Amino acid sequence: MAAVVRAFVGYFFLVLIVRIVGRRPGKQMTPFEFVLIFFIGGLALTAMVGDEVSYTNAICQIITLGSAHYTLAWARTKSKRLARLVDGTPLILLESGNWRSETLHHMRINADDVMASARDSGLKTLQQVDRAVLERNGEISITPKDNA
Amino acid sequence: MVTKPSTTPVTQSAPRVNNEIEVGEDLEFQRKWWRFENLVWILFTLIIVLDMAGLFGRGPIAKAERHAADGTIDVKYERIERTDSPSILTIDFGPSAIHDGKIKLFISESLVKGLGTQRVVPAPTETTIGEGGLTYTFPASKPPAAVDLALQPSGPGIYHFKIAVTNAEPIQAKIFVVP
Repeated sequence: MAAVVRAFVGYFFLVLIVRIVGRRPGKQMTPFEFVLIFFIGGLALTAMVGDEVSYTNAICQIITLGSAHYTLAWARTKSKRLARLVDGTPLILLESGNWRSETLHHMRINADDVMASARDSGLKTLQQVDRAVLERNGEISITPKDNA
Repeated sequence: MVTKPSTTPVTQSAPRVNNEIEVGEDLEFQRKWWRFENLVWILFTLIIVLDMAGLFGRGPIAKAERHAADGTIDVKYERIERTDSPSILTIDFGPSAIHDGKIKLFISESLVKGLGTQRVVPAPTETTIGEGGLTYTFPASKPPAAVDLALQPSGPGIYHFKIAVTNAEPIQAKIFVVP
């Protein structure tokens, strides 16, 4: 019983932690999905499992984790507010030749990060970028200018 | 006959920027979230500082020491412990604790059950149960003399305990065990 509660609380705690730590640019999994890796690979072996190393405990905790993940994923599709809370929203970093400095500061992103994504999209300079958006999964998507 | 897949027409899913591109940015929500993040970071910092100070065990704040008024025993322990984590409670004996080459030490049951005494070092020559606890007998010559109890609490809670040399002033204290 306690182990299942630990797994449940641990899952939502890690969702919060990963969400607070924030998005970093790069082609990576969403923070939301990172929770699974964090949980199963790391903390599950220490605080969540403790000295209860039985097969039964492992099965129950993994089922709990899967159920919590499924429930949260389902709830996100039902509530836009919850989806915003769990995933955040896309954020414009650069628009019509102007940086969104407030967003860059809070998301701890600099011009080099945007330029890296621009190069990935085949652009040579930031001047060719019409719009750069930090997506919910941490990736920066680039919309080139029409003449780029 | 193969059933056709169900479909729905594609509609605009997110607000457009300059009526051009669907982004779905919600800057007002994001500003609230950044304020929330700042508060959480302050909380996280506070938790780390308090943890290093020992508020959640294993630090200067957690360490405690009690002296019996009659000088028979001093007890060093951690007033804040962590579930399933080992710690040592040390009992130092004064000269008045030794009678006829022996020390008879009473510890309350809470030290054994709630606080999970795993070992007594050195091992007593005799253990007597009764009066809500255990009485250990140790052969002793003269101070300095000490006994260690290796504790490992099995669950969170507040545990009151009592330690005394037979017919002497007891030490009563409590240990808070965090999850």
